[in-house]
Amino acid sequence: MSFWTPSTRPGIRGCRLRTLSTDDRSLLARAAAGDTSALDAVMTQYSGPIYRLAYGITRSAPDAEEVVQDVFLQIINKGAGFEGRAALGTWIYRIATNLSLNKRRGKRRELETSLDELLPTYLDDGHRAGDRAFLVADWSSTPERELLSGESRRLIEAAIDRLPEHYRAVLVLRDVEGLSNEEVAQIVGDTVSAVKTRLHRARMALREQLTRHLGRRA
Amino acid sequence: MTCREAIEVLDDYVDGVMPAELAAELERHLVGCEPCRAYLATYRKARALGAAVARAEMPEEMRARLRRFLADI
Repeated sequence: MSFWTPSTRPGIRGCRLRTLSTDDRSLLARAAAGDTSALDAVMTQYSGPIYRLAYGITRSAPDAEEVVQDVFLQIINKGAGFEGRAALGTWIYRIATNLSLNKRRGKRRELETSLDELLPTYLDDGHRAGDRAFLVADWSSTPERELLSGESRRLIEAAIDRLPEHYRAVLVLRDVEGLSNEEVAQIVGDTVSAVKTRLHRARMALREQLTRHLGRRA
Repeated sequence: MTCREAIEVLDDYVDGVMPAELAAELERHLVGCEPCRAYLATYRKARALGAAVARAEMPEEMRARLRRFLADI
């Protein structure tokens, strides 16, 4: 028996960050030199992804807007010297990640909870521990439209807010931007193993919070 | 395979990067384990919902401000 859904059959989804082409290098050099059409081209291609990542980490539209502006300042200031050892996207995502994490420093930590109490617990024999009715609660057939509105949406927003910012960074880069674990590891400057662990824990924490709320209705 | 071992590797299964042999072992566990089947289904759904909610599009007025900001540099 297979438990794959049609949309998640093997073969990793998502884009791959292409390596820097001559065109990219020329575009960056022209943008750095103040060529407005080149800057416009970079903006068209990257402002959306930069904003998504910055908002995903900071969870604040004003902070994300400042990050986007700061990323473009760095592109202008440092773009001409970019040698292309990393893919252009990796370089830009890395700048955006670092600036977003800096922006978060010292902010809203009271919202963030330890993930440990949101992870599954086990008996000595390796089976799940806990009330059986809760363990088998399956709310996954609830229509997505219903889950993405009203109280459920607010719950998901709050659950994302409570994730530590480094976890949110990985969650956005993997599950929103569709990058591979290897690409995310390059961007956040960590090992693939650490990225995988963080992503899995973040998803499990989201799942747990949703199940505590929706499982009662299942 | 125990529930602990199954849940530890669910991310690779859901992301489609699990080796076939391990996936087969996991699926054998899932056939006989209702809690892990529920966990997998809700994990998969939580991943999709988290991605949908975390996906914030840049507002058009912000894009216009960025354009003005860059023009003023």
